Amino acid sequence: MLIPAFLFAMFAGIAIGCSLGVIFHRNPVHCALMLVGVLLSVSGLFILLNASFLAALQVLVYAGAIMVLFLFVLMLLNLKGENPLLTRGAAKGFGILFAIVVFVELLWTVLSPQMEGGMAASPTVPTGFGSPAAIGRVLYTVWLYPFEITSILLLIAVIGAVVLAKRKFV
Amino acid sequence: MDTAFLIESVIKVHIVLGFVLLVVPFIVWAERKILGHMQDRIGPERVGPFGLLQTIADGLKLFMKEDLVPAQADKVVFILAPAITVVTALIATTVIPWGDSVTLFGRTIPLHIADVNVALLFVLATTSMGVYGVVLGGWASNSKYPLLGGLRSSAQMISYELAQGISLVSVVLLAGTLSLAQIARQQAHMWYVVPQFFGFWIYVISGIAETNRAPFDLPEAETELVAGFHTEYSSMKWAFYFLGEYANMMVVSGVAITVFLGGWQGPVLPGVVWFLIKLTAFLFFFIWLRATFPRLRYDQLMAFGWKVLLPAAILNLVVTAVVVALR
Repeated sequence: MLIPAFLFAMFAGIAIGCSLGVIFHRNPVHCALMLVGVLLSVSGLFILLNASFLAALQVLVYAGAIMVLFLFVLMLLNLKGENPLLTRGAAKGFGILFAIVVFVELLWTVLSPQMEGGMAASPTVPTGFGSPAAIGRVLYTVWLYPFEITSILLLIAVIGAVVLAKRKFV
Repeated sequence: MDTAFLIESVIKVHIVLGFVLLVVPFIVWAERKILGHMQDRIGPERVGPFGLLQTIADGLKLFMKEDLVPAQADKVVFILAPAITVVTALIATTVIPWGDSVTLFGRTIPLHIADVNVALLFVLATTSMGVYGVVLGGWASNSKYPLLGGLRSSAQMISYELAQGISLVSVVLLAGTLSLAQIARQQAHMWYVVPQFFGFWIYVISGIAETNRAPFDLPEAETELVAGFHTEYSSMKWAFYFLGEYANMMVVSGVAITVFLGGWQGPVLPGVVWFLIKLTAFLFFFIWLRATFPRLRYDQLMAFGWKVLLPAAILNLVVTAVVVALR
């Protein structure tokens, strides 16, 4: 019981620390690296939740591919000074608004009656939980339509990217 | 988690890491010797018998060399980058089974460090993290050629990762599991290289591209980019990149052996010996390729990855899926 608690504290601590780093670092490349740290520690939390498949996908897709592309763009643009999209006041306003929304959402989820037994109880995990087979079965039965719609959305994005890249600039 | 398991794991970790780290100098020596003979030269021969101690001497030299950090470099990332390359390569070795389980002191000990049920994805995930070592090294040097090398490698590695992953998925379809140990065990009667002949070659080609080996060593093309991403590196940091490259070669070979070539299985000899024989053959193949093929041009590399390798991998996957469904 001690080891999972220790690991949870470690991964959660790293995740929080890195998230703060994402916000407070001046250099965009450092921010991106901190985000990689967040993603890795969250995948550690997934493993603690018996979801090793999700953890592996998290590292493979987000940390290993998407963030590399982020870095790629950041390095090509070589941003040095800040060129803010919003004014300081507007950014602050949006920030506070989003923070409140997310906080209320989290509170709603945690306090909702669907959380069986509240937070203190540790639920029993069915065998095969989080395995590729279990996730696949749920994905292709319960969540079939959202899954297919997402794949069509991605296909549209791919075609759009090809069209944009092929366009002759006159 | 009992104490015996802990002791067992610690011992296995030491064996694997010790093997990988100690064997690298000999691979480097073998590479120079084999390349030498293939190009009608002798190769290293002065230090020790057959020049065997040449890489030890080189390692000692690198260790004593001044450790330079460019004045304009991003110091933290500059130091971090080579470490990422080595660490990711070493982490990936933990899930590769190098033999069947043995029974010692009444305990059945599987011969791999960690039996992860998503081992194949684990390997892909860690190798995909390896891109950071190269990209960040190139960026942190704050200089033209390393940056270009780093950008090239990120594009190259992401492109070839796709084909690599899809070629492995075809085997997963046949095997019905993501565990490397189980995939290896299923090949007792027939190696997966037979039904997945194309998948095997797609995996090998993209594996060579992943490890930045010739003929895909574009990130360090000396004719265009001086030395690519590690231009500014010297001393042990450079040695770490070198070490990472060779450790990655072993990981790619180990996965290829486990997934396509029956893993540790073979007649007469014990499993570990068979694994080492296959590993040696694979590493020889890597070196042989380097001696044979000239480096690709960058646009050829990307065109080959996206227009030939990826469609071939997808076609292979579709055919495999249909065959599995009809079976």
